[in-house]
Amino acid sequence: MRAETLKGHLDFLLLATLADEPAHGYLIIEELKRRSAGAFDLPEGTVYPALHRLEQGGLLASSWATAAGRRRRVYRLTARGRRALAGARREWRGFTKAVEAVVT
Amino acid sequence: MSYLSELSDELGAVGIRGSRGRRIMAEVADHLASGGEVESFGSPPLIAQRFADELATAGTRRLAWLSFVALAPAGIGFGLLFVLLRPGPDITSAQTLAVGLAAAFTMVLAPQIALASGLLALALGWRIRAETVAPAAAVRVLRRRVALAIGCGALTLTAVATYGFEYSGQLPGWWPIAAYAVAGTLLLPLGVAGIALARTARLRPQAGGMVTDVVGEISQGQPWRFCLLFAAAVGLVALVGGGLDEGPRNAVAEIVLICASFAALGRFLGLRT
Repeated sequence: MRAETLKGHLDFLLLATLADEPAHGYLIIEELKRRSAGAFDLPEGTVYPALHRLEQGGLLASSWATAAGRRRRVYRLTARGRRALAGARREWRGFTKAVEAVVT
Repeated sequence: MSYLSELSDELGAVGIRGSRGRRIMAEVADHLASGGEVESFGSPPLIAQRFADELATAGTRRLAWLSFVALAPAGIGFGLLFVLLRPGPDITSAQTLAVGLAAAFTMVLAPQIALASGLLALALGWRIRAETVAPAAAVRVLRRRVALAIGCGALTLTAVATYGFEYSGQLPGWWPIAAYAVAGTLLLPLGVAGIALARTARLRPQAGGMVTDVVGEISQGQPWRFCLLFAAAVGLVALVGGGLDEGPRNAVAEIVLICASFAALGRFLGLRT
């Protein structure tokens, strides 16, 4: 899938990836690839600006953690992020249902 | 040159330094050490520019709201002081006439510019509310509107305190003290907004695209016609509100001030080309 197609949905995908548990950037990207069976192929570095922006917008929070002697930034959903994710899920389900009804 | 040092240079080139720059570098270093590859991460110029574009869009948009929140109490404090003052002192009774007149003139002009710039900033902030990356031109215009709104808000409060000092002999005893307290207290949130603006202004976004604004759509390519219609509407309000004695004088003054401000600041605020 082209990065251009993914652009409008990246925030939603990142929030959904973090819904279960906090994660650092590399793990988030790996999880995105795993869940999409490799379909989401975008320059990995573009995920980090989105994470910073979502944090700036109050949808994510982050803190430093240490693993294997390295400092890493771990992201988690805030209450506002959970509400945004629930809204985005509802909207997405309505949209896909409507598209499905038209194209099949 | 290694990938990380090239990225560090590129981040610096787009205005990302200090704690934000160090944090990004630590995250990228951790990503690469965790198994990520340089080839799939993206080129340093692309990543740095992406950071600048996204952070500048989100930060400047938030700044539009923040500046308006900082200006609102200043506007209320300013309004209350003058509602409670009527009738005002003799304009020629200042301790130093030139300073008193300058303060009085600033108190008429600066709050109107602050209000107009603040509203224009809000309108553009609202327009790009859903944008992940707004055109760099829109970010620049939004920053200018915020800067002018904050600057004129601070100028208004300073003029209020100066006015209180200059006309203290003719004013009720409580008024200058209230003016100093209002100005001193309400300059603080404007200072906070100013610091936030300075931080955001360091970022150098480059995303292409035009500024689309509600004012541009209303004026439909004829900004001066829009200015004259707006000035006429404000003049009408001033005419009706001022009554027979002050109405005509106030209306003419408002129309002249709006047109002069539009001529002086219209291009700076992105209202005309």
